[in-house]
Amino acid sequence: MKPSWAVLVLVVGLSHLASAGAASPYETINYHVQQMIAQAVSSDSTGVQAFREQLENLPRPKAGDSAKARPLQQRGLEQLTRNALKEALATFRQAFIADPTDPEIASQLARTYLRLERFKEAERLSIYTLSLAPTHAITWLGLGEIYGQMGDASRAGGAFANAYRFASDPPQLTERLRQLATIHPTEAVRASAQQALQTIKTTITPQPSAAPVLAPKTSPATSAVPPDPTIADTAVTATHPTEPFPNNAIPLSAPSASTQEPNTANPGQRIYRQSIPRTCLIVTSRNGKTDNLGSGLLVSADGLVITNDHVIEKADNLAVKCGERESTASVRKRSKQPDLALLATSLKNGESFIFNEAYSQDLIGRDVFVIGNPYGLEGTFSTGVISGLREIDGVRYIQISAPISPGNSGGPVILQDGTVIGIAAMVLKKGQNLNFAIASSEVIVSGLFDPARMQSRPLVKEP
Amino acid sequence: MYNTLCVALVPLLAIGAGVLPASAQTTDQNRYYIQQMIELAANNDEHGLTATQQVLAQSPKPQPKDAVGARAAFERGRALLEQDQLDAALTALRQASQSDPSNVEALNYLGLAYRKLNRLPEAEAALQQTLALEPTRAVAWFQLAQVYGLQNDTRRAVGALANTYRFAENPMRAEEILRNIAENEAADTLRNAALDTLRLYKLPVATPIVPPLPTNPGIRPLNSRSRSTQAQRSAAS
Repeated sequence: MKPSWAVLVLVVGLSHLASAGAASPYETINYHVQQMIAQAVSSDSTGVQAFREQLENLPRPKAGDSAKARPLQQRGLEQLTRNALKEALATFRQAFIADPTDPEIASQLARTYLRLERFKEAERLSIYTLSLAPTHAITWLGLGEIYGQMGDASRAGGAFANAYRFASDPPQLTERLRQLATIHPTEAVRASAQQALQTIKTTITPQPSAAPVLAPKTSPATSAVPPDPTIADTAVTATHPTEPFPNNAIPLSAPSASTQEPNTANPGQRIYRQSIPRTCLIVTSRNGKTDNLGSGLLVSADGLVITNDHVIEKADNLAVKCGERESTASVRKRSKQPDLALLATSLKNGESFIFNEAYSQDLIGRDVFVIGNPYGLEGTFSTGVISGLREIDGVRYIQISAPISPGNSGGPVILQDGTVIGIAAMVLKKGQNLNFAIASSEVIVSGLFDPARMQSRPLVKEP
Repeated sequence: MYNTLCVALVPLLAIGAGVLPASAQTTDQNRYYIQQMIELAANNDEHGLTATQQVLAQSPKPQPKDAVGARAAFERGRALLEQDQLDAALTALRQASQSDPSNVEALNYLGLAYRKLNRLPEAEAALQQTLALEPTRAVAWFQLAQVYGLQNDTRRAVGALANTYRFAENPMRAEEILRNIAENEAADTLRNAALDTLRLYKLPVATPIVPPLPTNPGIRPLNSRSRSTQAQRSAAS
């Protein structure tokens, strides 16, 4: 390693160019971070140090509302702990928007993007974080992983080397690199971590910073937009999808599944937990705009979804969300009478519902459970009883007292044993709780049901 | 070459102002320039945008009639707006902007109050006046984008969002705000506009497969005043 005066000259010269040119703030930051990586790859400590100082001297963004950001950050960390990545992303985003000058929050947002395999966003947020705190070792480590995942072993190695260089606890950092080098699923990450481990043994002296987090400095060059509560109005209409569905849903088809349910769960809770991952939200669009929404149910292991024909009848495009999984969909079969449609999706290898073949007076009085998305209220669960059997225009229906509303159409009506006894389809507006589902027996005899892929079974006597 | 063209664009725009009808007031001229800025931003025409901005900066500015009275009315209006007393806030903010038409903040908050009251043409006018006084005010561009979103005008929403990003004090924060809208906003126009804006600047975004739904499809207390909301409109039957 030799002192590189040429690099210093280059740094001074190029930094003037960068500030004098039309580079955006991000491009300027990125330039310096990439130089720090390049110097680290060349094992040039002086170069790394020089560009680090340049980075530290760039204008700082104006401080945000840390009082608002901190509780959000805490919530995001809790969500990360239980692996609720999408929730964590939404929360860290809100924290970042509240205070974009907190390097911990920016770094956690970057790492959440990384865990979601959104590498471009992760890279941008990591580089931004390094503009706030150029010696933030965890961010360097994350950036190395990002570049490794993107297949850029060279830059990954440089970022890992900087992670070690700025680590406050070098042995711990070494251990983390060792883990990456041995158990990371991506070859480029393993290789570059291995390379970094070899390099740091011989060349790098750690330089943990006494003050790794820089205090924000206001840039004189930035426009004087006053702090304004209205920018937080972003969320006026933005919604944050919540993910209340448990990941540990018990498959209906597994006979032993019910034994895994806690004894405290009542039948409704059990049905809800079992059914929610295979109950679908269906959103249709026309001319690029959201047009209609309804419900549906997964009926085969290869991703077939049944819904009502009237839910999808005018759609240009279809999207479905079953539990946590999303897919586009295409119409496989459809019929007006009965009002049914079969959709093909990419949601394979999941659990599916089993139809109940029964259509007899034995059904009347039995408890039923309905899941759907009335008015877009996702995963709404309601209960009632089977009130009667009706044949309307030659189609067999099950009359139920469980409340349904627009948006429930196409969703499952479920018996206590978890089988589907009908597909929610109609309401009688004049009355109260006079709702109708197309009987599963009707679905089974329709041309939509494929016995090779879908399952049905007879009525089981209730205890 | 391009710079030369743009230097030529400044006098051209000035001439353009001259060919507006003689009856056109400064306000109308300013609105024209704001619309130009929106159109140029949607085309990612940075040089044209800068040129228009310069012309706007040279346009005559209104003079305050009663700056002190306006300030007091503005503070009152802002406090009322924060308490969600929209009608009273509107009265105070109108008074503030009439007393001092050069008070950017009063005009900006007036635009916000109109938007919250769903009086969109008035919101648009107030925000355009705000931007005529301060063309780099990212917050006002953002609110104008929301107005266009509510009016289902994707093209202008894109232009206004593009200017929000362009003039943002912290572009990374603006980028995350745009991503948040592009991925989570239930209203199609605004969500698509944010998506288009991110693409315009070649910024990464994950397009949602299933468009987000409003978390609250028009739920409100039984005794509340009925108000048309975006959420209600988004909820399909």
